[in-house]
Order: sequence, then C-alpha cells, then structure tokens
Amino acid sequence: MGWRLRIEHTTSVTYTGPVLTSFNEARMTPLTLPTQVTLESRVTAGPGVPVWTYNDYWGTYVSVFDVPEPHDELVIRAAATVETEPPRGIPAAAERVSWGQLGEKVTDGRLLEFLMPTALTAVTREISAAAIAATAGLSPDTAAEAISACVREHVTYVPGATGVRTSAQEAWDKGQGVCQDMAQLTLALMRTVGLPARYVSGYLHPRADAEPGTTAVGQSHAWVEYWAGSWVPLDPTSGAAVGERHVVVARGRDYADVPPLKGIYHGPAGGDMRVTVEVTRLA
Amino acid sequence: MPTDLIPRVIDAAEWDLVARGVRQRVRVLEAFLADVYGPGRAFDDGVLPWSLVFTSEKFRREVAGITPPNGVRVQVAGLDLIRDEKGEFRVLEDNVRVPSGVSYVLENRSAMIGLFPALPRDNKIPHADEYPSRLLAALRAAAPPGVADPFVVVLTPGVHNAAYFEHTLLARLMGVELVEGRDLFCRGSRVYVHTTHGRRPVDVIYRRVDDDWLDPLHFRPDSLLGCPGLVNAARRGTVTIANGIGNGVADDKLIYTYMPDLIRYYLGEEPVLENVESYRLDDPDVLDWVLSDLGGLVLKPVDGAGGAGIAIGPKATAAELAALTTEVRANPRGWMAQRPIALSTSPVLAGEKLAPRPIDLRPFAVNDGADVWVLPGGLTRVALKEGELTVNSSQGGGSKDTGERGAWERGG
Repeated sequence: MGWRLRIEHTTSVTYTGPVLTSFNEARMTPLTLPTQVTLESRVTAGPGVPVWTYNDYWGTYVSVFDVPEPHDELVIRAAATVETEPPRGIPAAAERVSWGQLGEKVTDGRLLEFLMPTALTAVTREISAAAIAATAGLSPDTAAEAISACVREHVTYVPGATGVRTSAQEAWDKGQGVCQDMAQLTLALMRTVGLPARYVSGYLHPRADAEPGTTAVGQSHAWVEYWAGSWVPLDPTSGAAVGERHVVVARGRDYADVPPLKGIYHGPAGGDMRVTVEVTRLA
Repeated sequence: MPTDLIPRVIDAAEWDLVARGVRQRVRVLEAFLADVYGPGRAFDDGVLPWSLVFTSEKFRREVAGITPPNGVRVQVAGLDLIRDEKGEFRVLEDNVRVPSGVSYVLENRSAMIGLFPALPRDNKIPHADEYPSRLLAALRAAAPPGVADPFVVVLTPGVHNAAYFEHTLLARLMGVELVEGRDLFCRGSRVYVHTTHGRRPVDVIYRRVDDDWLDPLHFRPDSLLGCPGLVNAARRGTVTIANGIGNGVADDKLIYTYMPDLIRYYLGEEPVLENVESYRLDDPDVLDWVLSDLGGLVLKPVDGAGGAGIAIGPKATAAELAALTTEVRANPRGWMAQRPIALSTSPVLAGEKLAPRPIDLRPFAVNDGADVWVLPGGLTRVALKEGELTVNSSQGGGSKDTGERGAWERGG
C-alpha cells in the first residue's frame, strides 16, 4: 500500500532593504509519474501576485511570478497532495542491460545527457579511477549500489557544511555535506563508470513508521536515479529504499537544473531565506 | 570597414543559384532549430548524434518548448560563401545568431550611387533600400498573434558595441525605436519600453544582444545589457525575440558539417550549394590524421564568429602549431578542420594601381515566414592587406559594393 502525503513547503525570503522588483521561478510542484500521482498542488507568492506555470526542458512544472511592487519580504507557499508507492525494487533481470548494451545505447542517444559531467559533478581522474576499480566486475545495478554505499561512507551528513553551489569534488574533499552533495557525488561516480544518472529533487517523510494523520517536520530532499535498462532510484543519503516516503518534484543533470527557487531582483544585496517543510501522512 | 571603389559583379545566372542556395539553407536551418527545440526527430532517426547538441556551448535548454508565433527563428541570416578552385560557390559558414554587416551593403550602394549618379539609371542597378522594409515586414510578421499594429524595437548593447552604427542605421531606416536593456522592463510577463510619452508595450524585439546577456534570470546573472523576465515573456507569447534565442546551436561548425545531410532529411532536396570539405575530429583516426597534417589545414573553433580563433596551418609557426596541437587534443569537440581554399580574388584599388585581393561573399536573407528573401548582391568582404587571407573586418578587411546583374561591368 502506498501513502497519501500532504506537503506544505514555505519559503520566506527577507531582504536587507526594499526590493523594487523581483523575477522568480519556483520548482515545487510534484510530478505525476507511474509511481506517484499528484492529486492537488498550488504555489502562491502572496496576495495579488499572479503565478503562471510552464513545463521546462526536463519536464518540471515551473511556477513563474514577478513582484512589481516594492517589498522587503517574499513568502512562497507550495502545497501539494500526492499518492506514493512502496519501493518497486530492481526490475526483473530480463529488463536489465549489460555494460556492453549500456555503452551502445548511450553513445548517441538522449541518455548521453545524463552521462556527461556537469560543472557541479565533475571530479578528478583520481576519484573516478577509484570508482572504476571499486566497481570492476560488478553488474550495473550492483555497481550503483556500491557507489551509493561508498558515498555514504565517505561523506558525513553535516547540515550547513556546504552550500547550493558546492560541487561534488568539494564535497568529496571535505568529507561532509547534505543530501544535495551526496546525490551529486553519487551522480559523478556513476557517470565516470558509465552509468547514466540523474539528480532528483523532492521531499522525504522523515519516519518510515509514520501513522496516518501525523505531521512531521520534513525537508527538501535529493536523491538519484540511474539507468540500466530502466530508471532505478537510489537514496545515497539515507540508504533507504525509495518508495512511499519519497515525493519526486524535478529531475535534471544536477541541482542547477532543478533549483526549488530561483530569482533575480533590483535591490540591496544580501538577505535571508528560511524554509520549512511540513509533511503529513494522510492515509 | 573601408570600402573599395571598384564594385564586384556577379553574373545574373550565378546569382540566381546563390539566392536559391541561400533560401534552401535558411529553410533547413529553420527546420533544424524547430527540431532541436522540439521533438528531436533527426537525432532519433540517426541523421546526426545527440552528442553534438549536448556538447554545443550554444544549445539553450531554457528555450525548449517556446514556439515562435509564425514559426520563424531566423529572421535574418548571413551566410559566408567562397569560390572553390573551380569557381563554384561553396558555403563556408552559416550565421543565424545576430549576423551583422548589412549596413555596409546599404552604405556601399548609396556611396557608389552618390559617386556615379548615372549608373543606376543606365544600368538598372538595384537599390539596397528594400532591405529595411523587408526586415521590418519580417519582424512585424513575427509578432504575437492578435497584435494588429506591432510595436517593434531594435535592442542594442550600446554605443561601445562594434556594430552600434548598424543598429542605429537599421532602427532609423525602419523607423523604429533603438533601445538598450535599461530602457526595457517587464511587468506581468509583458515587456515595456520607457518613452518620453510614458511606457509602451513592446511586441517584437530585434535584438542585437547575444543570448548570454539577454535575461539575467535565465542567463548571465550579472548582465545589465538585457532585461529580466524577457525569456518568460517570450514563453508566455506576449513578445517575440528575433533572431531566436539558442540559434547558435545551428551555426555550430560541427552541425555545419551535417547540413548537406539535413537538407536531404528535412527538405528531401539535394543541396544547391555545397559545403567546403570539412573534417570532424570526434573520430580518433581523423583526429590523428588532422594533427599529423596540421600545417596543411585550417582549424576553426566550432562556436567562433567573426573569424576569431581560426588557425591557418600553412601560415602558422612551428610554435603556434605545437600549441594548437595541445589545444585540439584536449578538446576535439571544440574544433573542426577544413582544407585551405585559395580564395578567389577581385581587383582592388591599392594606392594608384589595381591589385588582386582575396574576397568572400556574405549574402543576407530575411525570413518573414511566408518567403525567404535574399538581398540582391550581399556583402563582399576583401582582405585589403597584401598577403592577408582572412577577410573579416576584425582582421583588417574591407568591403566592396556587389551587384548581381552584370550591369556594372559592361554598361555605360
């Protein structure tokens, strides 16, 4: 049985002085997928601010809004009700591919996009050589598991240790990071061994034993999906199977393709952003 | 760019071929761009690999799914043609981002007619005056649906831009406002311009600002040359940006090597104008061969414009070739190779005497969605310095008035 989850995601941006205009894009609307159905969703940015949406290159629902009046605070509320599924596990062996088949499939196809390094996921030859050695002789699926475990072992989860612009390499060197860093490092290593992999941005209910009707403080979360015949999700941060607790919002090559909030404004530099995520298991 | 006094003449039948070739090229470039930012059919059908697009520095995912109102992304194209050893015109480069140079055509023609007032009367020399009205018509035709009388502006990076003169000239000849990014602002997904009579909604922006600088929300966040909100206004369909954002993926010099195949694929036609023989370096064998024969080839950066970064093997020193080898080996995707072609020459006035100098031809085309119109004559660029092979104005080149009727030569 899957879960029905209610997500309330509030982002408050406080500027250091009055901002004349701001132009913003929010990527906060959960996708509807074979494994997840978004029953209802809404993104608002304060009274009188019109919000319109489009589907970007990656298939993400983008909410666009500009605030034309002078303001010193901006509050974005994203609420959604989503039905999720238990973990599917790895599909039957007949649907999986060998390294050879993978190579052929990827060379000139669309999957190549998820194999190429990006600015945030480029790593040194030293690290990629280690990843290749550590996964020698493994099947694509077991290699993916091994990489995810290796990242979890190497990087300690330390909130605040890194920022949104921290690269996979920097996170590796530091040995600390958050889910974004662990996801990007996992992507980097998967790509160096030849596995197409993508970044997933979304939400996670923190408790596997949550009863219906209980609300928890959740958070924005990030994990990965790799392709070896079909896309399979892995959560390198928690090591838990991706299933009813995970809600997918956006997928791309790295964080830069799927930032929950992106904006530009006329006004003084600096400011503060506070984010709260409440996740309620409804059923 | 200096003007040479001796005009160049192209035979009418040959010009007809050039014009047909340019029209065909613009049609295929449009089809390719619609495919890249749409379904990607040609890639899935194996005509060319996805890797070309994914590795192109000018591919702009930010505009995927934006469909221009009249389907046109290439309102203005400038192709670079040269004659090969047999005298046949070949395409050297496609330019569909913000091609410049048309102001020289207009100025050269009016200078020649000013100096020799009898010539147009006696020889039916076409005026180039039609260009601004054709361009304005194409821009108006690109306006969002339902706009009866579109308000068109020319967006310039400003007075420090090398082509600022052209921006002012085109705005003046079209009778539209010349604006900078700071004159524009977005409200509610609509673009407005500040004028002396208050704000006015803008329907079509003929932009002479590169993609990277157009909208700090989607591209360079430090840009002050554009206007935040522009891309989403275009996506919303309230304004048209011409030429289209992301067009640079089509004039990437590796994509260029596929143009003959793409003409067959999209149009079901044979190319009217052939490419210059070119080599892609993604094949390791080709790369090795090119590197072993670097002194006999021309190497071009795939995303270069205006002749920047081109290495001419036969003219390079040993040290330059060694540096080039390192650079190309490190980034084969960044380069393509061509056989050097001895450019055809045309007489120029060198001091008091006539002397032959290498030339090329840049025809300009305007696409209004119903028809691709080719400006009669185009721009002839000429290497003025003796021994110089590149004709780009940034490399000290000049220009010539170019007529296509055969009228200049034997008339009068």
